[in-house]
Order: sequence, then structure tokens, then C-alpha cells
Amino acid sequence: MPYKYIGRKTDFKGKTLWEIVGNLKNFGVGRVVVRSMMERYPEPSYFRILKVEPLQCPQVQSVDNLRKVRVLVEKTFRGMTFPKPVTIERASYKTDYRLLSKDEEEEYCKKVLPKEVQVYPNTMDFPPLLQEYIIREKKTKGEDTDVELKLDIVYNKNHNSNSVRIAKDGEIPTVTFDINMRKLPSISLYKNVKM
Amino acid sequence: MLRLLSNLRLFQPVSLHNHQTVRWARKPRKPRWMPTAKSKMFKIPERIKYPEEENKEVLRLFNNYRTAMKSIKQYLTNRYNVQLQAKSDTEQLKKAFEEDFARCSSINDKWNEQIRKEREVRIAKELQEEIEFSKNRKAEVLRQRAEELEQAEEIVRKEKQAVASLITPEQLDEVIERAINNPVDYNFAIDLDGNRIYGRETMSADAVKAKQ
Repeated sequence: MPYKYIGRKTDFKGKTLWEIVGNLKNFGVGRVVVRSMMERYPEPSYFRILKVEPLQCPQVQSVDNLRKVRVLVEKTFRGMTFPKPVTIERASYKTDYRLLSKDEEEEYCKKVLPKEVQVYPNTMDFPPLLQEYIIREKKTKGEDTDVELKLDIVYNKNHNSNSVRIAKDGEIPTVTFDINMRKLPSISLYKNVKM
Repeated sequence: MLRLLSNLRLFQPVSLHNHQTVRWARKPRKPRWMPTAKSKMFKIPERIKYPEEENKEVLRLFNNYRTAMKSIKQYLTNRYNVQLQAKSDTEQLKKAFEEDFARCSSINDKWNEQIRKEREVRIAKELQEEIEFSKNRKAEVLRQRAEELEQAEEIVRKEKQAVASLITPEQLDEVIERAINNPVDYNFAIDLDGNRIYGRETMSADAVKAKQ
């Protein structure tokens, strides 16, 4: 009787890592494996297999832990190769791996140019109502109202990315941060919107 | 200020994007604690795919919104927070801090002095108790030793008495002769009152004991 699977559709596409590695000569050391989850990014992400170890039969067996294998790989994520090898064990059971054929490897693993650095602004305009409020407050205190009001932007300091940074003094930011949406981005979504 | 904040709406082009997440908002629906309807049990909903452009734009807008709100919050905090305002007069703050510290320190010293007195009294009392305990313990140990000695001597005395009735090799023949001549009969009869009457054919055990 054919199996009929019921349930949500999965985003995974491919085989488990053991299914691939177990069928290869020398357990596929030197070959390249990709995860379909990582293929959503424009830059290439792939694993080059360095070493394969089978695992002990687990005491409490389940569908998930029976299909695992420990594989040491050189990981490249979005075009950036990790300096140290990475072990795949916990995620090895996921049916999301695909083996690259040898003639495909060179084309797939081509190096990408580093992304252009986006420079974010330090300040932005106040929201109109708040700006009006501040100006009035200044007037009542008799302070100078001619100075242009700018709001200091608070960014997430933990964000660790090489392609994003905050503008230094006098630098022109490449990303505009317009709170009042004076100009809409030129995309098809806003084609028929008139400001 | 609060009213101003609540009225403050950053520009969000709600009508511009197509998808909008609505959770538990539809009115005529089954309660959340009810199980999946039988007719919907095996229904697999299609996975919705949004245009990439729209996804990007929604993400950008949302990121901008959060950054803007964070910035405004920070501004208002810096501007109106009472604690931050007071920091301007550092001299006064320092003086107030020192006064407060001196006050706290004097209270602390007072407590320390009080606790020191209590501690000394307590330690003296504990020492006295320890000495008393040791004395009692020593007396108890001495008493126990004396008792043990007494018991040992009692045993020795009893053994010395018993030596007189021991069977020596010289007496052995005589004793065997006596035992053969006086066989003991352990059988007994019971009368109606429950008395035991020993001896059926030979001498009774009592009689033997009495003879010995």
C-alpha cells in the first residue's frame, strides 16, 4: 500500500546527510554538499566535507537520532568561508542536503565580490508633531528656534555585519532614512501612489 | 506628554502592502481550545508566497519603524527623565552622596559596635559551656572505665570459683563412672493440674542435679 503523508508541507528539499555520505567513496571526503535552506540567498553557501564519523547507536531511538552522522566540514555561508571547520551533527538528520556533482562544483563555489558597504545616517528628522512641540517649548523658554532639529538615531549595537556601518562625521550616508516619507521608493508597489 | 506620545504615529503606509497578519481577530470563529474540525483535519493549507519586492519593502518599513521608535524613546528619556536632569549639578550630587555615605557609615559603625559586644558575650558564654561540657565528659569517661574494670574483676572472680568444679584429667575416669552409674531420664508425665512428673525408669533430672 502506498504511503500517504498528511501534514504541513515542508521547506526542506533533499536527503539526510548520511544518505548522501554513506553512498560515496571514502564517505565523500572532498565533495561539496549544499543545504536547500541556504539557497535562498544570492551568495553561494556550501559545505566541503573534510571528515566523516559514524555515531554510536542511540540508547533511546527515534526517527530523528537514528539518521544522524558526524561530519566535519569547511562551511561557506553567503560567500564567506569560516576560518575553522564546523561539525554538523545535530542538523545532519534533516532531509535538506544535496550533493553537488563534481562538474557543478566549480561553477557553484565561485567566489563572490564582497558586498558594497551601506552607510547609515547618524541623525534623522523629528516626526512633524513632535518637532512642532519642541519648537513651541523652545519658544516659551525663549531659546533659539532657528537651529535645525535633528533626532539622533539609536541603532542596534549588537549588529555585527561587515556590510553595514554608521556614517562618520561629514560622510554622506548611502541609505536614506526618511521618517516622513517625502519620497516613495521607486518600486512597482508604489506605482500608482501619488504623494 | 503622554497624550502627545499616544497621538504620535509614524507614517506607516498600511494600505500599500497586500498582506497583513491578523491573529484571532475574526469574530464568528470557533474558540481556540476546540480541536481541529473533522472536515479540516486533513486539509493542507497552501503555503502563501509573497512577492519578493513586497517582502523587502515590508521588512524595510518595519525596520525603519522600530529604529525610529527607539530613537524617539531615547530622545524623550534624555530630555525628560528626572534622574538624568539632576545629574547636571555634579558638585551638589557629590556633596549629597558624601553626606549620605557618612550617615550610612555612622549607622554601620554603630551596628558593628553593638554586634561586637554581643559577639564577645556570646563567645565567653560558649567557652564556658565548652569547659563545662569537657569536665562532664571527662568524669563520665572515668566513671565508665571504673565500671568496666569492676565488671572485668567480677568475671575473673566468677571464673576463679568455677575452677573448683572443673573436670581435670585425673578426675575424668571417676566422673565417667559416675555418669554411667546415674543415667538421667528426661521423660515425664503430666497430671491433671499440669505438674510434670520426671523419670520413668531411671533417675529423674532433678534428682541427678540434686545429687550433683
